[in-house]
Amino acid sequence: MTTINTVLGPIAPEELGFVAIHEHIGYGMPGSELDTTWWKTPEQRYEETVPKLRKFHENTLSYGGATFVDATGICNGRDVNYYQSLSEKTGVHIVASTGFVGGDTALPFFERASVDYLTAQFIHEITVGIGNTGGKAGIIKVGVSRGFKMKELDLRIYRAAARAALETGVPIFTHLAVDAEPAVEIFAEEGLPLDRVLFGHADDGVSQGKVRDRWIAEQGGRIGFDTFGYDLELPDPPFWGRPRQERLEHFLGYLRDGLVDSVLASADANCSPLGWPGVKGHTVNYLFETLFPALRENGVDEATIHRIFVELPADFLTMQPHSTQTRAAATA
Amino acid sequence: MTTATGCVAPFPTREAGMTVKSNTVNTVLGPVPAAELGVVAVHEALLAVLPGAQYAHDIEMDRAVIFRAIADKLRAFKAAGGGAVVDAGGMFAGRDVPLLEALSRATGVHIVASAGQMEEGMLGGYFLTPQTNPPTPWPAEKFAALYAAEVTEGMVVPRVERRGSAGLIATAITADGMTPTDESQLRGCARAAKQTGVALTFRAGSDPVAELAVALDEGLAADRIAVVNAGDKAGEVAGKGAYVVFTDVAAGVAFAQAGGADNTLVATGGAALAFGYDEGEMPETSYDALVSAVPAELAPRLLTANPAALLAVKEA
Repeated sequence: MTTINTVLGPIAPEELGFVAIHEHIGYGMPGSELDTTWWKTPEQRYEETVPKLRKFHENTLSYGGATFVDATGICNGRDVNYYQSLSEKTGVHIVASTGFVGGDTALPFFERASVDYLTAQFIHEITVGIGNTGGKAGIIKVGVSRGFKMKELDLRIYRAAARAALETGVPIFTHLAVDAEPAVEIFAEEGLPLDRVLFGHADDGVSQGKVRDRWIAEQGGRIGFDTFGYDLELPDPPFWGRPRQERLEHFLGYLRDGLVDSVLASADANCSPLGWPGVKGHTVNYLFETLFPALRENGVDEATIHRIFVELPADFLTMQPHSTQTRAAATA
Repeated sequence: MTTATGCVAPFPTREAGMTVKSNTVNTVLGPVPAAELGVVAVHEALLAVLPGAQYAHDIEMDRAVIFRAIADKLRAFKAAGGGAVVDAGGMFAGRDVPLLEALSRATGVHIVASAGQMEEGMLGGYFLTPQTNPPTPWPAEKFAALYAAEVTEGMVVPRVERRGSAGLIATAITADGMTPTDESQLRGCARAAKQTGVALTFRAGSDPVAELAVALDEGLAADRIAVVNAGDKAGEVAGKGAYVVFTDVAAGVAFAQAGGADNTLVATGGAALAFGYDEGEMPETSYDALVSAVPAELAPRLLTANPAALLAVKEA
């Protein structure tokens, strides 16, 4: 049976509809919960979040469904009970992550953990549930710590993620696509096909010149154009922002070169950030309000948009346990 | 909770504390005259959770079970003559203010809770790799503001409310030696202690005397500082006027008997209940053992007078 874990339970891929593959209900660095600077009342959090999800739902009506993949890892303010209530009340499917945004967001307990322990943690969250919520993770988050270089803990998390992905069939997405060689090596060693991995933030401003995205695509990895909307044209852009046109051209290059099946796209917006100011006005709905008009202006047809936001993510998110055949192939 | 004007407050905060009145101690249930504390376990951990262990898939943290286990230890302490326990684990290793309040109410043991966090390796990414470019770790002044607010505005129940007032500021230095972030944090803690009048305690790293000098450099009086695990530097630390906290109670007693009693404090070195730590890192402890381990002639000083002097909030 082919399914995807959402926070409210498994659904068929045909129900996903439009998928925003890398988003956040609310993200905060571990420890930010101690700083009242960022606190919001529950009223504020719902007020900031619900209209964005309802708008997203409205924008996706013609696609037959709305799916919001939350990329907030363990220790980063991931809040599955809250996601469940949001999903239930707005009709948006929410897929939660297990894993970590990067080694530098894993707290000491996990920093000390072995690959085996981390693997068990991820598998538990995918097959049994996250905490006592009953909600199961549908994807594994991994990432590169600050400094554009994989650290030992990052590598340990990548390896555990690969094993959990093989065992459970969920895909992996990464925070940053820089320093991808060690990642590709780990996935090869573990026997995980690279089309089960979305190398995220290949399009962000700070990664340019450091990210070998075409090389990753050649290896079979998926490329995440998933920071759409973090434009330097904004009044107060974040440090990872990029000129809007430059990002668009980067993306269009893939489409022109026939590499549409290598890409996935999203906005990486926070509905209501938890430990940072966020970027005012940037929401998941940027995709409909700004990106799609720009794509159409550049001659991208509806079938291509449908492919990138409906068919490819459904293929990616659908749980595909590989353990038997690929492990056999890897050891052959 | 409503404010004086009757409006719903954005976040509940505690009533204005009595942090500047001398001879009172900030307990989780409010200010208490220092003389009323009685026998004090002055540097303990009640519930200790290695940061992150609260998310572990195989650790069950049953609140009722936790409450009962800690309450049993507090009642045993009280039965042995104990009056107050200081939770010096800081604000990011299992501190649960409503739980501590309920424990204090249920057992009649005063509980003092701490602001601050432990050494660099115990900090979350928010402090070490903030979302700035470059990701510069927090400077002293930011730590100072965060921790002072725990005394003046109340202790955080993360993203929910502030409650009570922290009764001390606790931190630690990396065992292998003070890192730049440890130093920033220690300076921030010392500033917050100076500003609010509560004491500073820190677990020493590799050079207790140099680390104490950092805290003193912030203008905090030596008698407002307690150094845990000063090892063979205990004499020098006491010589500067700071308290020395011995987790080897016999060593503390010997130090006191050799003339250092005015600067000696003792602690069990463990926690009533711990989750996620390595074997032996945070041993299960019983506070009543402290009472029996200190000879009767030293007990009034080590277990009552010295803790009261340290914990009494100094007038600003």
